[in-house]
Amino acid sequence: MKSTRSESPCDCHSPSRRAFLSDMGMGFTGLALGAMLAEDGIAKAADPSPTHLVTPSPLHHAARAKSVIWVFLSGGYSHVETFDPKPALNQYAGMTFDKTPFENPLNSPLHNKRFRSVLAEEINIRDVYPTIYPMQVGWRKHGDSGIEMTDWWPHLAKQVDELCFVRNMWTTDNDHAAENQIHTGRHRLDEQQPSLGAWAHYGLGTLNENLPKFAVLGGPTRSDTRLSIDSLYLGPQYAGVPLALDPKNPLPFGQRKAGQSLEEQRQEYDLINKLNALTAVEYPEDQELQARIRAYELAFRMQAAVPEAIDFSQETEATTKLYGIDADATKLAGQRLLAARRLVERGVRFVQVFPSPYGSWDSHQKLKDNHTRLCATIDLPVAGLIQDLKQRGLLDETLVVFCTEFGRTPGLELRGGGKDGRDHHPNGFTIWMAGAGLKHGYVHGATDELGYHALGEGHYVTDLHATVLHLLGLDNRRLHIPGRKRLEIDDGRVIDDVLA
Amino acid sequence: MQVVLTLGITLAVASAALAKESAVDYSRDIKPILKERCFACHGALKQKAGLRLDTAAMMRRGGDGGPAVVAGKVADSLLVGRITSKDDALRMPAEGKPLTAEQIALIKTWIEQGATSPQNEQPEQDPREHWAFKKPVRPVMPEISNLKSQISNGVDAFVLSKLDERGLAPRPPAEKHVLLRRVYLDLIGLPPTREELQAFLADESPSAYEEVVDRLLRDPRHGERWARHWMDIWRYSDWYGRRHVPDVWNSAPQIWRWRDWIVRSLNADHGYDRMIREMLAADEVCPEDDEAVVATGYLIRNWYALNPNDSMRSTVEHTGKAFLGLTFNCAHCHDHKYDPISQDDYFRLRAFFEPISIRQDRVPGEADPGPFEEYSYGKLRKIQRLGAVRIFDKTPDAPTWFYTGGDERNRVKERGSMPPGVPVFLRFDKHDRLEAYPTITPVELPPRAWYPGLRPAIQATAVADARATISSAEAEIVAATQATDARSTRLAAAAARLIAARAELTSVEARIAADRAKHGETPGADVPALARVASRSERDTALRKTEADVLANERALAIAEAKPATDANRAKEIDAANKLLTTARPAFDKARAATTDTNSETYSPFSLSYPKTSTGRRKALADWIASRNNPLTARVAVNHIWSHHFHAPLVSSVYDFGRNGARPTHPELLDWLAVEFMESGWSMQHMHRLIVTSTAYRRKSGEQDAVSPNLPLPIDPENKLLWRMNPGRMEAEVVRDSLLNVAGKLDPKIGGQELENSEALTTFRRSLYYSVFPEQGGKSVMGELFDAPDALECYRRSRSIIPQQALALTNSDLVHQLSDLIAQSQREKPPDEFVVACFERILSRVPTPRELQICLEALKSQSELLAKTNAADAELRAKSSLVRALLNHNDFVTIR
Repeated sequence: MKSTRSESPCDCHSPSRRAFLSDMGMGFTGLALGAMLAEDGIAKAADPSPTHLVTPSPLHHAARAKSVIWVFLSGGYSHVETFDPKPALNQYAGMTFDKTPFENPLNSPLHNKRFRSVLAEEINIRDVYPTIYPMQVGWRKHGDSGIEMTDWWPHLAKQVDELCFVRNMWTTDNDHAAENQIHTGRHRLDEQQPSLGAWAHYGLGTLNENLPKFAVLGGPTRSDTRLSIDSLYLGPQYAGVPLALDPKNPLPFGQRKAGQSLEEQRQEYDLINKLNALTAVEYPEDQELQARIRAYELAFRMQAAVPEAIDFSQETEATTKLYGIDADATKLAGQRLLAARRLVERGVRFVQVFPSPYGSWDSHQKLKDNHTRLCATIDLPVAGLIQDLKQRGLLDETLVVFCTEFGRTPGLELRGGGKDGRDHHPNGFTIWMAGAGLKHGYVHGATDELGYHALGEGHYVTDLHATVLHLLGLDNRRLHIPGRKRLEIDDGRVIDDVLA
Repeated sequence: MQVVLTLGITLAVASAALAKESAVDYSRDIKPILKERCFACHGALKQKAGLRLDTAAMMRRGGDGGPAVVAGKVADSLLVGRITSKDDALRMPAEGKPLTAEQIALIKTWIEQGATSPQNEQPEQDPREHWAFKKPVRPVMPEISNLKSQISNGVDAFVLSKLDERGLAPRPPAEKHVLLRRVYLDLIGLPPTREELQAFLADESPSAYEEVVDRLLRDPRHGERWARHWMDIWRYSDWYGRRHVPDVWNSAPQIWRWRDWIVRSLNADHGYDRMIREMLAADEVCPEDDEAVVATGYLIRNWYALNPNDSMRSTVEHTGKAFLGLTFNCAHCHDHKYDPISQDDYFRLRAFFEPISIRQDRVPGEADPGPFEEYSYGKLRKIQRLGAVRIFDKTPDAPTWFYTGGDERNRVKERGSMPPGVPVFLRFDKHDRLEAYPTITPVELPPRAWYPGLRPAIQATAVADARATISSAEAEIVAATQATDARSTRLAAAAARLIAARAELTSVEARIAADRAKHGETPGADVPALARVASRSERDTALRKTEADVLANERALAIAEAKPATDANRAKEIDAANKLLTTARPAFDKARAATTDTNSETYSPFSLSYPKTSTGRRKALADWIASRNNPLTARVAVNHIWSHHFHAPLVSSVYDFGRNGARPTHPELLDWLAVEFMESGWSMQHMHRLIVTSTAYRRKSGEQDAVSPNLPLPIDPENKLLWRMNPGRMEAEVVRDSLLNVAGKLDPKIGGQELENSEALTTFRRSLYYSVFPEQGGKSVMGELFDAPDALECYRRSRSIIPQQALALTNSDLVHQLSDLIAQSQREKPPDEFVVACFERILSRVPTPRELQICLEALKSQSELLAKTNAADAELRAKSSLVRALLNHNDFVTIR
């Protein structure tokens, strides 16, 4: 557990003074100091009684992945123009849905069942655009698996046999708070929940005490998407730690003051520790003091460990090229993805990467221009990441997730005289995963012929969470804080079909 | 996954097998399952289908369908049929996941084995009998056989009696310096200065401590300190939504006036009952009190432009949690599972707030912000800093629709609008009519409340504005007289402007006179006559103003035309003047035409007008919450107060006093405090004084050297019985404020508009004045590290220990700057005196000999190192490093 804060309405579960010491944000245990270090295990069982908190218990089940690299593309990429091409859109271009031979997706009960507007109905209802807009790019089958991808992904297409697609995702927000929703599982109008990364941090032991367990690169993308990395009631120590890709100062206050020598600082830390050790003689039972002494030791080492983790000077030219760091278009995404690899290599459990700024993919107009340009910024770097992880043997223990907040409408967006874009589309979209514990070159699920509805039950975003946690050895249904009721919608189902 | 599934089944089979082998224990194995999954509908709260499952006897008796359990006969036991049914409509529990195979196996085995249960099994208590739902009565003070000398007040009697019961001896009093630092940080959020420390240590009078307490409670910094605690609970948030745009979606940019009201109210020791009434309904309770109506910021904070249902949900949830310790939010989608709060009750509570909206009143002496900007789809809402926002009832007949599934689209319109009301179990005087409790009386508002332009201060502002215009017109006359060129036309224009300005003042005064007469403030006045004067003088002013405009523009035209043809600006200026003239001349004609009407009584008001009546709903709600008969309000509040003094509450579930909440560690003490609170006129300062002057509060916090028949530590390691004081940790705000204060840099200015967090490390106001909002940037960097509150919800702070805190306190420019300042200020002192002075200033104590020795060694070794590298001023830098080490000492952020 995390803290003395007891949100629990149930006394028997109130976190005790021992409880709050058991994890100090960087993932070490205050009481059994050292017991947790370098141990892969679950830090907190669902059973909150103090005795269970002190010793790390095993994972809920065997883990397939040690770490996750979660790549989020903000704004909503078009599923039909990326990983779920739909020839019917070309065939029936310009017609309204009801003129096609297919069932009109607007008449489907799924239409209202799945999506919910943030705006009160009295204020505004988003228009639905029924005129089919053709695909703006060609597509073909790739690899041995013969999976369809569009022509905007020439590099990633070569890695298609490593990828595992889920083409029947859906969410419920038809506006950009869906960016938070895919990370928290909750619609803007419902009570908010901690983000997936925070749950992973909460549930997992540390593999490297000198680095944060949950690191964020390039995010949060904006002031109002903080929820995508937040920990809320789990306590602030479980929130994502944004790192700047500046080896001189990657972390707030992570660098000693200019002009202060290492030796000078070491002497200062020595004095702090000596004084605290003397106080510890007077208060031998004070566990917080013990934890603070430990925190100072760690802090001193982090000043070197964090910059080292994001310092590319030791990387070969071939590697930096593989990520496209040598070219302007791919440089930013490449740097963030290479940093992600270096972090998971060093034991960071969850790296959340935002390769492009907030809303980049939001192509209400000029979709073709937008996606041509943006795909070119990420295609090569993410293909490079897959190759690099593979050649280093890391792909077997790392899970890569590539996702966005929703898809885009099969219909042409007419708002503001629009003639070349698509609107937000929560009813069906595609994500892909790769790496540890997954099938290779595999497609799970589908949308209908028009790319409108996710078929079958489809997968709400928490199914993705359940799958990621499952691969990490965690059971999402057992990750909860007493008194903080999680709803059924939070308890996603593992997408069994994608597991190897 | 295959593996896991198999494992799951194996487990279930194994435990079933296990269950068969050994006897199933009803109390251990069965009852907890039923309690968690079944009691909500088949227990004391509800008896659906006439069935209760809270005792085995009642299960055997069964409900409408017959016995639920037949001992030894699984097949005949209806319970088993229902929990194993394949039909979703029949299978129980009706909500949530089915029982697991393991749980079902246990229940079956128990029935097979004869469904045995304890003889004296008691049914669930009637929910109305729950301790927190019954009015607290002052408990009899317990008799303590020994330890009498340790009783300072009632607090001690109750604490000691519990310790006595267990034979535990409490810890002795803390040393004076520890106590002083503790009470300073507690009451004003800052450590004592070195001088205050020395004065207290030297004061041997028996009342020295009590005097310090009184002084700190009178200190205006006390209100700032405790305001932050209540801001956590009342969810204070500055505006947010889309900060980066900016676009105001949530809360309001003027909300800081509510924060200042909290500080003022605490410093004035306004009763908590009064504070509740003002936050929920100041516009109905004291509608003319501008200082008080900003308290409705409590409600404005929940405002969400895009969806009023969301604002209502926040309001219902947090009114329940903050004031009543009830989780009304659980009844949003279904009847409450633990407390007798129905889904209807949820909407009835919402109905109290349904009519509200926000208005934006002009602040005297400031410009008029105009009307509050409602949300309009797709339009950015600007950051409006002018004016004071307040709640008012805008739509008295706004319907409250019942909806299902927590989704407002699922309205059940057939049910009609839900009337305001509170749950039946909390109707403490006998009223059985379902819909009309508490009694709601509409509030007739005084004119100055619904027409703020009638307030003397606003009228005075209008007069002052008019006078200022006259002054500047007079100044222009003087300037024109001294001008060298185009003097005559300039003078003519200025004279016209002055005439207009004087007419404006006359008009303002006439409108004020007419307003006052119209609203009965000048008895006997001839209202229509005054209105005619006001009307005429306003129209006359318009004439004078338009006349001055024409003159000014004609002059501008003449000046432009007089320019040489070669002047690049000539054409442009002529054009501009002509354009202005084409509007000024018709405006003048129109104004002149308007002056002919001598009967008009129409004139402009000084503000908007709002409804003259308020529904009185919120007043009724506030009166009910703040009633001495309400069993929850005082208990919930004193629990929070206690929690901040002792760093742990008496009821650990601070926002849930319901049946699923925690039981108090000291029920009698809680009730005694609650009654004491109410009888003191809900005085928080009375409670503070009572608690901090108790012996319990003054004890040592260390666990060691207990001289006791039973060592308390192994028996009560978590100190639930309070045999010692709990050590605390400074909150984020206190860390920053204390750092600044020990360096003498804290800016004592009180109140005002919030400051940006980006400035929190370079400007030195108290931390509560920097922005708080639930978005990125809503916490300062220091706040982020030291558990600053989550502005969405923070009924209790967390207390983390992370390495980044160490980095902030050793590496930040701020800490370096402050440690340099402290070192500099005492650089003349010889090393040992320097160390002692720093210890006293930073840790409020002298160093032990060993500490002194270590510090002197460190100073020496650091100076030598720096001297070796030829650092400038090696000795001062070494001293600064020592200061920094003390600021990083565990016992700086720790409250012993």
